[in-house]
Amino acid sequence: MGHRLSPDAIATLLSNPKPDSLSDIPEIIVQITKLEPKGKSYGFDANDGKMKIKAIFNSRLSSEITSGNIQNLGLIRILDYTVNEIPSKSENYLIITKCEVVSPAPEMEIKDEIRKEEAGIIFKPKQEHEIKIEVKKEPSGILLKPKREMATKSAAQIVHEQHRNMAPTARMAMTRRVHPLVSLNPYQGNWTIKVRVTSKGNMRTYKNARGEGCVFNVELTDEDGTQIQATMFNDAARKFYDKFQLGKVYYISKGTLRVANKQFRTVQNDYEMALNENSEVEEASNEAAFIPETKFNFVPIDQLGPYINSNELVDVIGVIQSVSPTMSIRRKSNNEIVPKRDITIADETKKTVVVSLWNDLATNVGQELLDLADNSPVVAIKSLKVGDFQGVSLSTLGRSIVQINPDTPESNKLRCWYDSDGKETSMASVGSGLSPSTKSGARSMYSDRFSISQITSNPSLGGDKPAFFSIRAYISFIKPDQSMWYRACKTCNKKVTEAVGDGYWCEGCQKNDTECSLRYILVVKVSDASGEGWVSVFNEAEKIIGCSADELDKLKSEKEGSSYQLKLKEATWNPHLFRVSVAQNEYNNEKRQRITVRAVAPVDFAAESRYLLEEISKMKDSP
Amino acid sequence: MDTSSPAIFVNGESLQMYVGKKVRSVVQVIKSDGGDMIGKSTDEHQWTIKGLSSAPLMSYVEVIGVAESNQSICAELWTDFGKTFDAYSYNQLCQLANGEFKALFL
Repeated sequence: MGHRLSPDAIATLLSNPKPDSLSDIPEIIVQITKLEPKGKSYGFDANDGKMKIKAIFNSRLSSEITSGNIQNLGLIRILDYTVNEIPSKSENYLIITKCEVVSPAPEMEIKDEIRKEEAGIIFKPKQEHEIKIEVKKEPSGILLKPKREMATKSAAQIVHEQHRNMAPTARMAMTRRVHPLVSLNPYQGNWTIKVRVTSKGNMRTYKNARGEGCVFNVELTDEDGTQIQATMFNDAARKFYDKFQLGKVYYISKGTLRVANKQFRTVQNDYEMALNENSEVEEASNEAAFIPETKFNFVPIDQLGPYINSNELVDVIGVIQSVSPTMSIRRKSNNEIVPKRDITIADETKKTVVVSLWNDLATNVGQELLDLADNSPVVAIKSLKVGDFQGVSLSTLGRSIVQINPDTPESNKLRCWYDSDGKETSMASVGSGLSPSTKSGARSMYSDRFSISQITSNPSLGGDKPAFFSIRAYISFIKPDQSMWYRACKTCNKKVTEAVGDGYWCEGCQKNDTECSLRYILVVKVSDASGEGWVSVFNEAEKIIGCSADELDKLKSEKEGSSYQLKLKEATWNPHLFRVSVAQNEYNNEKRQRITVRAVAPVDFAAESRYLLEEISKMKDSP
Repeated sequence: MDTSSPAIFVNGESLQMYVGKKVRSVVQVIKSDGGDMIGKSTDEHQWTIKGLSSAPLMSYVEVIGVAESNQSICAELWTDFGKTFDAYSYNQLCQLANGEFKALFL
């Protein structure tokens, strides 16, 4: 060891608890012992060979520790510090604000020089015994720190001991020092973790330029709730696939860590783990209660916007509003048929969202949900991908976990809300709302703004594929004589035909229903300062007319038809923001422009004013 | 619509151009002072609005009246616009209406 501890370093620190300037501080080198995480920072006992003092690193230095630069049993030179007294305990503690690493961990905690030469294993009686010493097969033959007090031993001595002492299984089974997931890093391979498998992916086969293989991954969670993804390929995958079971707890060591590929990462961890055939995985017995169950991080439905098309997965919890029957979808990639089921859930934000359940979740869990649907159960789902179908859509993955009516505080809170308010509240789909709070929604009503005449005067718009625009316009006319609605299946909203006997037949769901719902399909004239045009509207018309198609139909069939006319009149000359698609249709051998409303949002006058001011200044700037 | 005596959109900096003329502006009610009101224009000038004592505090009100000085208006009509109002946009409107687009307004 080149550097030595500064004699009486602790005494020196205590004699000058709050140094005035950096130059005031003499050379102070101490050893770090008992390094452990304390919230965002790390605490330790500073050792000067004679005395010890409780210490803590400034949280800014935490990265130095997690990267392995500052290590337990290593030596540091203290460059800036403060000593505080805890009055209630009449104890001092040292805060390190600046330091530099003098040397990494030697083999042991430095007592005084004499002890070093002793052979054999020295155990400090009050601490845990740790016999496990790993000898890493590195070219330089460095002996790695075992993190416990040990006397110096030659490599030969240790290898001999390893062979002599315990069989591997017994060795693993002894009380071992378990590392929190948060402390793992790629620069230190000597760790054991104790984790629960909170998600297990399916075994996937792949073929690439280098050949074929199989791979699967698991999500591991430790006692603190930290998560990390572990991946296994080929032999390791085959070795551990059956061993890892969802929900069970394992001791794992000899894995490797890498910085996680942000594109593919699904858990919040800068690192990801890989296990190979040499990694060790051992089931921990009797540990059922030790690690908290699946940890959820729920995102309220109206805050799903920012996650759209991101790789980060979300968890949601909501009350079931509807469950569709199982649908069979053909995967374009391999022509495989997979089962899918759509459920609609709602939460206290008064928004609904559709969650697509795939594979097993569609058939098994989905069936359970269908059976329970009338009771409006609470469902909590972990690890969903957020897509943009119909604004916002959620999709399950292999790793997703669905819990029905879980006994958790969030579930109970949701249940209470639903039973008191929620049941009666009318909810809006989070996708179609496009309120300014949803990032994607606000963006689309102010992007690709066109005037009506810009659309109608350009017949080539939407030739290849539909073009999307947003417009601000007034409803100028709704023809009262058109059919306004179509008969729709209550489950999948597709058109139904009258069944042979009673009721209606849905081709998509392949079933009969005595009732159907009415859904809007109509044309409406819109006008703005530039011109006017006809647009097709579907069920978004509810926002324009102010009532559902069922309700409007009731008004229409009233003997005295004036309330129907009045409803349409009230809808006229109201301004709205529309998101429209423009496409070309052939009609009687003529190409016709067809404008369809995709979304409707109320005009936010303040935002609209700002937009107009911007447009005015743009016009002034351009020649 | 009676277009015989149009009221000019003004803010703090433009009021001085129209002393003695009929103007309109939106002010935020700061306090009531006897029979008058102290209001803040959309560009942070402090004005005295005469003849307007009952406006709710901190509300935005539109005032139409004759400009008495570059800091006071004698109100003939007023309307409560409520507590939410985009003063920035209104201020920009006043600048444009008195600047390059004056011809559109007068």
